[in-house]
Amino acid sequence: MALKKGKPTPSSDVPGERQQARDRDGLLQALQADDAMTRRWAARDLAAHSEAAAALVGQLRRECENSVRQVILTSLTQIGNDTAIQGLIDCLYLEDAMLRNAAIEVLKELPDQVAPFMGKLLQDPDPDVRIFAVDVLESLRHPHVEEWLIEVISQDPHVNVCATAVDLLGEVGSEQAKAALISLKQRFADEPYIQFASDLALKRIEAE
Amino acid sequence: MIVMSNQAGISDEDFQKFREFFYRKTGMLFEQSKRYFVDKRVLERMIATDNPTFRSYFAMLRFQASGAELQTLINLMTVNETYFFREEYQFRCLVDSMLAEIVARRTSTEPIRIWSVPSSSGEEPYGIAIYLLEHWPPLKQWDVEIISSDIDTQILHRAKQGLYSERAVQHVPEPLLKKYFRHVGTQYQIRQTLREAVEFTQVNVTESADMRSHRHFDVIFCRNLLIYFDDLSRKTTAESFYDALNPGGFICLGHSEAMSRISPLFQIRRFPNAIVYQKPLEAR
Repeated sequence: MALKKGKPTPSSDVPGERQQARDRDGLLQALQADDAMTRRWAARDLAAHSEAAAALVGQLRRECENSVRQVILTSLTQIGNDTAIQGLIDCLYLEDAMLRNAAIEVLKELPDQVAPFMGKLLQDPDPDVRIFAVDVLESLRHPHVEEWLIEVISQDPHVNVCATAVDLLGEVGSEQAKAALISLKQRFADEPYIQFASDLALKRIEAE
Repeated sequence: MIVMSNQAGISDEDFQKFREFFYRKTGMLFEQSKRYFVDKRVLERMIATDNPTFRSYFAMLRFQASGAELQTLINLMTVNETYFFREEYQFRCLVDSMLAEIVARRTSTEPIRIWSVPSSSGEEPYGIAIYLLEHWPPLKQWDVEIISSDIDTQILHRAKQGLYSERAVQHVPEPLLKKYFRHVGTQYQIRQTLREAVEFTQVNVTESADMRSHRHFDVIFCRNLLIYFDDLSRKTTAESFYDALNPGGFICLGHSEAMSRISPLFQIRRFPNAIVYQKPLEAR
């Protein structure tokens, strides 16, 4: 036994997932396969087919194998069209915390694509969803982030949503957030955390 | 030879267009700070291909049926600076820890498969081969296959030749230098038996089709490549590596890279000599 010249694919390899055709229809069929590796490869190759976003979103919600979910999420990030974004936003309403958090992470990576959805998301009737939307803003590289946060602390009736937004304003806030922070303190005068976080944000803004 | 006038320079808009195109093709993203590096090489190729304007060169790059010019440019844009036994502690970890686990759970005599990517000029795959021969006695009982890949066709050619400068072999102990290299003028060449033991292939790690043909590895060395990628390309590459590995297989990244910041698919393994990442044994 010794060092031996090998091949990229060993001769003992069984083609498995490659038995399916690599066109869109073949890949969509493979996305439903029993074998997890077949589903992963199908999800990976479907990134080249933007019209497959709806099928990927559907599979994401049904999928129980984490490794396949991860690949679907990456493909949806690559596709990044409205169907993909809406599908990821819909995950914010799910009970499955792992999927919800994964969707938040992906949305953070797509600032330009998420921006048109953000206004509506921040107005969602469910305060938890509004908190998740603020979580998306946390590292969304978009010029409107501060503007959205100011809007949240100026208008949102729910103290937890405002608290999440004010925490973030402490990091990204500028002079233009000062007035909204002061009025937030008045709006929630009996909430010690809001008082503390707003003061901290104001102090940081003034220090800059 | 064409003398490049200002008119033939690369505007900001050209640069943006080029970097987006090059990113789509290779996963490599050049920041504004790399502008000089990129401009210099593109201008060189514009001269070499008799394209007086960026526009005509870019059209050639995009629409040339053979893709030869794109490959030439990829070859110029990749950084191939390395030397033998770079980050040697991972080789130590390979022979002391990873291989012991791999053979302990092996139920057949199938060869152990190691993938070194990018190969650069071959220092890493040949270094692994030398390390196994010198420091892993079970090599007497096991076959080991080393496959090494790179996107750059010129560097693959150099890797196959196995010719190195004094600088590249500076960390190779004298006895090993005598044993595994021969003097060729002022250079050192890896002996033929080792050159014949390593298989070199061209791979673009961001291309699903390329990655699909590289499979069933027990260990992957992918050091200091992902640092040139953006987050999304890093993630897609890591996910492809996941499918290239056998369950329980290991992946070694460069010392400044951490899989936990790229993908949650791998488990972290802390061995005495190195931290590496493992595809879960129960992975399907």
